[in-house]
Amino acid sequence: MALNILLVDDSATVRAVISKALTLAGVDINELHQAGNGQEALDVLEAQWIDMIFCDISMPVMDGEEFVQAMNDRGMIETIPVVIVSSAGSEPRVARLKENGVSDFIQKPFTPERIREVVDQVMGAAHNAE
Amino acid sequence: MQNEVQDQMCSTFMEVVEKLAFMFGEVVPKDEVDSPDIPFTLASMSFDGDVKGLLSVAVPTEMTAEIAANILGLEPEDIGSEDMMNDALAEMLNVVCGHVIMALVGTGANFKLDSPLTCPVDKMTYDHMVKSDEFVGLLLDDSPVFLGLKLEN
Repeated sequence: MALNILLVDDSATVRAVISKALTLAGVDINELHQAGNGQEALDVLEAQWIDMIFCDISMPVMDGEEFVQAMNDRGMIETIPVVIVSSAGSEPRVARLKENGVSDFIQKPFTPERIREVVDQVMGAAHNAE
Repeated sequence: MQNEVQDQMCSTFMEVVEKLAFMFGEVVPKDEVDSPDIPFTLASMSFDGDVKGLLSVAVPTEMTAEIAANILGLEPEDIGSEDMMNDALAEMLNVVCGHVIMALVGTGANFKLDSPLTCPVDKMTYDHMVKSDEFVGLLLDDSPVFLGLKLEN
């Protein structure tokens, strides 16, 4: 199954790196959407079908933790997996994010193999099926 | 700044930059990186929580294209805009900062990173980097780099 993926990060560099890592990891992508902060991401979620989200923590306007809370408030977190990608991966924060429904955490810098591992774990094998 | 903290900052910086941008660094005496005639770009970001302070890195402006290219897996000539170069330098500092804080105070620390900012280095800032004990000198792929950490608690 080809995935519709949303990348949420205020850095265009990070969005480009994750996009490239997804390609190098062989993840089957249908559509790749991008947002510069949590609020923009919520706007994308209102308009597009999204299968999985990669999201930063530190962002202007609405940060990653606020975005996760907003998804919780809208009942979206149970149906759309969110993976946090950040350098600020302290244990208390990761635990708090997972308690709020985040599926996994990727510490920067990361490899395409780590991206693949998380996609497989979060989405299951279904996304590989022809 | 205590030497122990600076040593930890430098080793973490070099580890992260090697993985992220495939560049190799070594700490050198600051007079070896003193290059007042070349333009530098400064990236800095503050952090708050169990530990509070400011982490900064200054690199030759012409090096920012190479950093961006290495992070993005492109050729330096493919990096079209100054925004891309500054964004890549900011992201490099962002990743370094998270790792430096966790190296200094442990993975159990509570902290929040502010967004990194970039700007050209003016003469006053350059002189501060050269004279202040908050900054150390490194050669990164043989280019001069200043790395600074100011802790407030």
